Amino acid sequence: MAVLNQRTPTPKLLPRHGRISHKPLLPPRLFHCSATAPPKNRRLNSKTLILNPVTSRPPVINDPSLKSTWTHRAWVTGGCSTVLISLAKSISASADSHIWVQPILAGLFGYVMADLGSGIYHWGIDNYGGAETPVFGAQIDAFQGHHKWPWTITRRQFANNLHALAKVVTFIVLPINLLTNDPVLLGFVGMCSGCIMFSQQFHAWAHMTKSRLPPMVVKLQDGGVLVSRLQHAEHHRAPYNNNYCIVSGVWNEVLDGLSFFEALEMVIYFKFGVRPRSWTEPNSDWTEDPETTTFVS
Amino acid sequence: MASISLHTNHTLPSLLHSQTPKPTFSQKISLLSRSSQSQFHGLKLSNSTLLSFPSSSSVKSSILAKVTEGAIPPAFTLRDQDGKTVSLSKFKGKPTVVYFYPADESPGCTKQACAFRDSYEKFKKAGAEVVGISGDNSASHKAFAQKYKLPYTLLSDEGNKVRKEWGVPSDLFGALPGRQTYVLDKNGVCRLIYNNQFQPEKHIDETLKFLKTV
Repeated sequence: MAVLNQRTPTPKLLPRHGRISHKPLLPPRLFHCSATAPPKNRRLNSKTLILNPVTSRPPVINDPSLKSTWTHRAWVTGGCSTVLISLAKSISASADSHIWVQPILAGLFGYVMADLGSGIYHWGIDNYGGAETPVFGAQIDAFQGHHKWPWTITRRQFANNLHALAKVVTFIVLPINLLTNDPVLLGFVGMCSGCIMFSQQFHAWAHMTKSRLPPMVVKLQDGGVLVSRLQHAEHHRAPYNNNYCIVSGVWNEVLDGLSFFEALEMVIYFKFGVRPRSWTEPNSDWTEDPETTTFVS
Repeated sequence: MASISLHTNHTLPSLLHSQTPKPTFSQKISLLSRSSQSQFHGLKLSNSTLLSFPSSSSVKSSILAKVTEGAIPPAFTLRDQDGKTVSLSKFKGKPTVVYFYPADESPGCTKQACAFRDSYEKFKKAGAEVVGISGDNSASHKAFAQKYKLPYTLLSDEGNKVRKEWGVPSDLFGALPGRQTYVLDKNGVCRLIYNNQFQPEKHIDETLKFLKTV
């Protein structure tokens, strides 16, 4: 594994990213790498309702918290099954009804909306709440840790990376599969939920170097079908308040150009008095760790 | 896109001028729409539209209280970042740029404040003073000014009383305090009004451009 100076001027996405372990870890070996451009201070909101420092610790070689468990695999299996059933039912119903255009368009719409949904969710958990927030606390903490050690996601095993979203998809898509046979709705739901579930994998790929990616993934990134490495690297650079979408990234330019998230933050501030994390100076919990650990393969 | 309102000797009298005769009902609706419009990336958003029927009191306040080009704005006395009281009359005798912004430390307001700071020498060269006004208290202004080394006065309009008196329009259907800048000449007459919520640096460009022409 190449060792890079953390002050590398161009964002080199080295392979090691992931959500951060919450378990106590062995002291890390010190290597230098940078998954993104040199870290700048990430602003931390001092007036959020819940103030939580990042509780995660930097990952180490063979970190068990990055490995998939059978529970993770079960949830991913469940999520994938519900998505596949949704798509299969859509195809079957389309064949029976001899309509193809609408379900296909619905599927495309689902893919596009998944990107928007990923951005809004990502913005929300990046800026509000903390580890103690009900339901979302673990993800909020994980995403804060991700900003500190962005490369860890690439070392997280597949099911480990996807299981949280797979769980949500299972609970939401299964009832829809049982309740409807509409090919258009099922096409939308199947594509949207599938893209959302796999957004963490797309996210991981966006943190990897080109040389470590399958050629097809590189082509999809370069073609704008999946979020590109360059575009996502912008999210990990100051002012850390843009490029939130992580499916295809197609909404990033639109939302950032319209100051969409800035407007939302202002409305939330004036309605509820809560400032987002991106408005204030970061503390060390948020800034990318300059002494990050790399994994030697 | 932003909205700019200029007062020159050649402009037709505005319907919003305080000396116009009492408007008819249809004019009231049109007046209110124009008076409360603001710009949001080229999409004009009003907190009242041509189809809305505001109460008579809000119509009255819009007509009588709004600062327009050619008018002398209502006087005010507010506290600055050091807690001292400052009156608008203090700035008479020199051109004054009065900019209303939503909140200290928000991204747009920080960009705007720093842009005014960075161009402050140009404003001084034009003989103008810069005053920022928001609803934050003096302590917030002090911290904001110190953090970004702002060389000009920030005034605390707690309760947004002056904002309402001057008729600064809101954005996003009233959800956001508007971002509007007024340039007053040395006699205290409003000569330029510029509104732009999400392109804050443009306030500096437009006001400097205007000051160069007077």
